[in-house]
Amino acid sequence: MIKGLFDGKRWSALFAAFPEYYIPGFLMTLKISLVGLAVALVLGVIFGMFSSSKWKLLKIISRIYVEFIQNTPLALQVMCYYSVLPMLFSSSGFRIPKFVLGVIGVGVYHGAYISEVIRTGIEAVPKGQSEAAASQGFSYLETMYHIILPQTIKIIMPPLANQALNLVKNTSILAMVAGMDLMYFTDSWGADRGYFAQAYFTSAVMYFIICFPLARLARYLEIRSMRLPVAKKLDIQADEEAV
Amino acid sequence: MMKKMLSLALAFAMAATLTACGSKAPEATKAPADTKAAGSSAEATTGAGAAGTAAKDVQKIIDRGVLKVGCKSDIPKFSLQNTATGQYEGFEDDLAYEIAGSIFGCSAAEAKEKKLVEFQGVTAKTRGPLLENGEIDLVIATFTITPERKETYNFSTPYYTDAVGLLVNKDSGIKSIEDLDGKVIGVAQSSTTKDGFKKYVDEKGLKVNPQFQEFDGYPALAQALATKQIDCFSVDRAILAGYVNDGNLILEDRFAEQDYGVAAAKENTGLAEAVEKKVTSMLSDGSMKKLQDQWGLQ
Repeated sequence: MIKGLFDGKRWSALFAAFPEYYIPGFLMTLKISLVGLAVALVLGVIFGMFSSSKWKLLKIISRIYVEFIQNTPLALQVMCYYSVLPMLFSSSGFRIPKFVLGVIGVGVYHGAYISEVIRTGIEAVPKGQSEAAASQGFSYLETMYHIILPQTIKIIMPPLANQALNLVKNTSILAMVAGMDLMYFTDSWGADRGYFAQAYFTSAVMYFIICFPLARLARYLEIRSMRLPVAKKLDIQADEEAV
Repeated sequence: MMKKMLSLALAFAMAATLTACGSKAPEATKAPADTKAAGSSAEATTGAGAAGTAAKDVQKIIDRGVLKVGCKSDIPKFSLQNTATGQYEGFEDDLAYEIAGSIFGCSAAEAKEKKLVEFQGVTAKTRGPLLENGEIDLVIATFTITPERKETYNFSTPYYTDAVGLLVNKDSGIKSIEDLDGKVIGVAQSSTTKDGFKKYVDEKGLKVNPQFQEFDGYPALAQALATKQIDCFSVDRAILAGYVNDGNLILEDRFAEQDYGVAAAKENTGLAEAVEKKVTSMLSDGSMKKLQDQWGLQ
């Protein structure tokens, strides 16, 4: 049994520290998660399209990005953004704001994964679909927009939600570089007072608060996308009358 | 053709994993027994603690035949793990041997020779939980005594008094504490540096208002200073001394005199008593001073 988990004194110490530590940490994590997710989605869609495009150069660029990011640890990447990236700008004293650092960190990392999710999603749609679209005179973008992507979404929704949830949880890596996020403040308060059970339990609950609605939303979208497509009701009668 | 080759490769991979499982089996069967033993001993120590009898927790350690001590592994002179031999060497480690000697009824040299102390490297963050869950019996790891911590752990009389110092890059142009206004000071998690700094500045009537950032471990702090992500690295001077190099220097200012104590878990009162007796006797007969001189500590 974890000692002192139900100790009232420790919990009241936690509630006293709550506004100073957990609220700013929670907001920072939430902000980084939302903006990071947007960045990851944009990068993912762009590079996902690149890797399923016809031009070889785009494919190669996308491959390099994905392989490099996928096969190196996030902790190392964040460390690199933190200490090496500023040197590109100036040799002394330039600092990337922690929020931007977090957004770049998780955004670029999960962008690579999402790009893979999207690539596999596009490739999973049978080739006959795009050939049929081509035979009907659809352009590449029209094919993508009307035929391929709607089918892709169904396939990619579950792995995409997975990535979104992982992204939220991976923001905790920022604590390593004093990122002022939820994990940072949890460590800070927990280590300060020694009430680790309270500190980490509360932190877990707060991550859950962010992740759980996201998971439910993803599930809802997944179920909705699985509904069989219903043909649009065209106003055929009006046409007939006109004839 | 391609498919056939793939299935062949898969078959090989599966065969490989199967044989791997086979060869590992003896180890796997052995492992649960070990963990069981470890688990029961951990339970036993907590059981003794709950009973609250004074000598029982000490008896437990004597029965086990080894005193488990949490020490830092990265502080020169205090407690540094020798990378070649894996041994812990320093003032705090010798103190651990002294305490072990008094518990097992032998001299410190004998305790060292018989390996009666089992060291475990700890950080500012891990030492508390390790002590609380009974993984280690004592923490002798530049652990500053504070009123809040006294509520959670059993501290001995201070065995060393240190002050906090400020390490800055030479090319940063920071000459004294006054230059730190608006700068970023890196401190270690679970350290008392922040409060000490504010108190010192208030006492001197200076208007210095830096920003504090906490890091997990001293190497991370040293790295952040080297890459100029923080302007100043501020922890106990004993620890700072290990990170001085050509590019940085320690400022004159010293503040927040703080006392290091040996910590035991709150319920291990018998052990705390034994430690307290040893530390006070070492302080009164001058052997503590001798030990500090031996390691070159002022």
